[in-house]
Amino acid sequence: MSNHQILDSLAHRDLRVRMESSAALGDDVMACLLMPAEFRRAQADFPILFRRDLQSAAFSAVALFGFENGENLFLEEDRWDAAYKPLAQAVKPFLIGRSRDDASPAQVHVDLDSPRIVTDGTAGVRLFTNAGQPTPLLDDIAQQLGDLDDAFRASESFFTALTRHDLLEPFRLDVPLTDGSNNSLVGFHIVNEDRLRVLDGATLADLHSAGHLMPLFMAVASLAQLTALVARKNRRVGGG
Amino acid sequence: MEEEQTKRVVILGGGTAGWLSACVLAAENIRRGLGLSITIVEAPDIPTVGVGEGTWPTMRGTLQTIGLDEATFLAACGGAFKQGSRFDGWVSGAADDSYLHPFTPPAGDDLAALLAAWDRDSGQSFAAAANAQQAVVDMRLAPRQTAMPDFAGALNYGYHLDAVRFAALLREHATTRLGVIHIADRIGEVIPDERGGIAALHGVSHGTISGDFFIDCSGHAALLIGGTLNVPFMDRSDMLLNDRAMAVQVPVLPDSAIASATIATAHAAGWLWDIGLPERRGIGCIYASRFMADDEAEAVLRDYVLANVPGATGQSLSPRRILFPTGHRERFWQGNCIAIGLSAGFLEPLEASAIVMIELSLRALTENFPRSRAAMPFLADRFNTLFRYRWDRVVEFLKLHYVLSQRPEPYWQAQRATDSLPPRLAALIALWRDQPPSAWDFPHVDEIFSAASHAYILYGMDFPLPRYLPPPAPAARRAIADVAQRSRAMLAALPDHRLCLAATAQQAPGAGVRSAS
Repeated sequence: MSNHQILDSLAHRDLRVRMESSAALGDDVMACLLMPAEFRRAQADFPILFRRDLQSAAFSAVALFGFENGENLFLEEDRWDAAYKPLAQAVKPFLIGRSRDDASPAQVHVDLDSPRIVTDGTAGVRLFTNAGQPTPLLDDIAQQLGDLDDAFRASESFFTALTRHDLLEPFRLDVPLTDGSNNSLVGFHIVNEDRLRVLDGATLADLHSAGHLMPLFMAVASLAQLTALVARKNRRVGGG
Repeated sequence: MEEEQTKRVVILGGGTAGWLSACVLAAENIRRGLGLSITIVEAPDIPTVGVGEGTWPTMRGTLQTIGLDEATFLAACGGAFKQGSRFDGWVSGAADDSYLHPFTPPAGDDLAALLAAWDRDSGQSFAAAANAQQAVVDMRLAPRQTAMPDFAGALNYGYHLDAVRFAALLREHATTRLGVIHIADRIGEVIPDERGGIAALHGVSHGTISGDFFIDCSGHAALLIGGTLNVPFMDRSDMLLNDRAMAVQVPVLPDSAIASATIATAHAAGWLWDIGLPERRGIGCIYASRFMADDEAEAVLRDYVLANVPGATGQSLSPRRILFPTGHRERFWQGNCIAIGLSAGFLEPLEASAIVMIELSLRALTENFPRSRAAMPFLADRFNTLFRYRWDRVVEFLKLHYVLSQRPEPYWQAQRATDSLPPRLAALIALWRDQPPSAWDFPHVDEIFSAASHAYILYGMDFPLPRYLPPPAPAARRAIADVAQRSRAMLAALPDHRLCLAATAQQAPGAGVRSAS
């Protein structure tokens, strides 16, 4: 359920929002959308996987937090246990709104049905001062939304290049846990390293000059985090 | 020798001082394994004097020591948060004459550098340049969010409380949780021992109550320290001229804003206190009877209430007149008896020093508890030296508020008269024309009023900046810019004071579901 509205310094003058991380506030997700511009910071914590939209056939990237729906292994007792929180998750319950005219300025939208919206005034942080000026929180949000918007616009050429060079391959991971159970991860893609390795110099130079090469290798490197994520899962299963 | 060991502690008097002493000593007795029995003798028919309804931040530590959680404490005492004291009309008496003495110390650790970087000419107050608390107090926000752990805050804070309900809470806690024995009885006689101490109290219905160590919390009566042991009272009214108060409790509208600072408003011959609680405001007019008649003081009080408390009507006010001595005992610990609270001394509540002096006395006592009679003379000497120092510092700090005033009335001129000035304060004020207050001026551990507190008063009251300051440093300028940024963030994050108290009351055990944190 969601109720998106354009943020308004009059209508939302007293609105308070809880921005901390917690399952109750909607951080109990197994993955979230990740922009190529974020790969460098994200790969130190999360496996970066790719997903293909069944209808549009377009690829997107996600940061993986767990192995089943609703499982976020980076959420420790209402604490975000990683150095980085992907923008798409960090900006909730805010979104970018844009009218049909693509050139018009983006607007900050807010999902008023989010559990992050506080109505009793005792928790959370205000978005506007009494005088209607943005608070430091809203300044930060607007900055992050802008970054996210820029990164999203830049991502299209990255995924197009990956598709053009056929650099993604389907990926299946079976995760045997120490308690004897088994998790399977299906429906994701990863970088095909064999194809990456045989790209010719001109293609590599093109990818590099377009700024795609670095995120590509960051995605490759991030797969080392799969082992760490399995270890988190085992700790939780064993400790639970 | 068995008989020389301190085993039985008897506390006389059950006000804030008595029950706080009982709770702290009983909690420390358990923690330190002192092996004491603690008995408190409280006359059943003596009302608690309702002064000292503001605490210092030290109270948070005291509550933790005695094992009371914050939500229970606030709900039981009808309490509120206190973030400092605001002084209105003290400099010139003009309408915009107001400054704050916040509990949070100035940013950075170099007061001289901060003063050098502060742009006084811009009209920004020193307190507002030094930290975010003034912005938060101005907006009547709480110093903490309800989800924070007990006793933690975004800013330093103490409490405002209903002293009668506080004493009742402490009584309940002491007797049901901490093993304090409560005797409701009047004392007919005090039985001295042969060594200049006290052997026993004689209760009218309970008979002899013997003890090895006595704590005199009998209030202004000072039954043991004064009445029995004849320790002289040192009058300080030559320096602090106020001697009377008219006090009222005014109910407030359910949704009215609650100030989170004590508001002290100067008038022609004294000042008014205004302490905001969720259900009422405690307001009083302090005055010097030499300069103001009782009916004039009552009129000042009535005018203030009508002008400042929404919904208040003058007819229903029936102020209580309080006459108070100004001063303290020459010694506070004599033989096997220590005086804590009003029995030790009383100074006007301008900086809420009453309860913190109780807490400091209890800390000094419990951290050096006399395990035997033989240890007492040395410990008593040390305690007396320390607390004479502390009472002197409080007198000087209170006097500072008057000395810096430019108000023209005869009372204010008398408060500034050279012969009413403590010599050490006069010397320090001269020094502060050259250099800012520093730890050199207040070198003790647990100094009651720090150099920072003095700075808030001095520069809040238009005292000139020191003649010799370092050139403005980028680091100090950054610190002031950070304060502005932090102020903005806190205004966005901290909840309305009243809403926060209501939500905190919901967290008190028994008041409903306690939140996960």
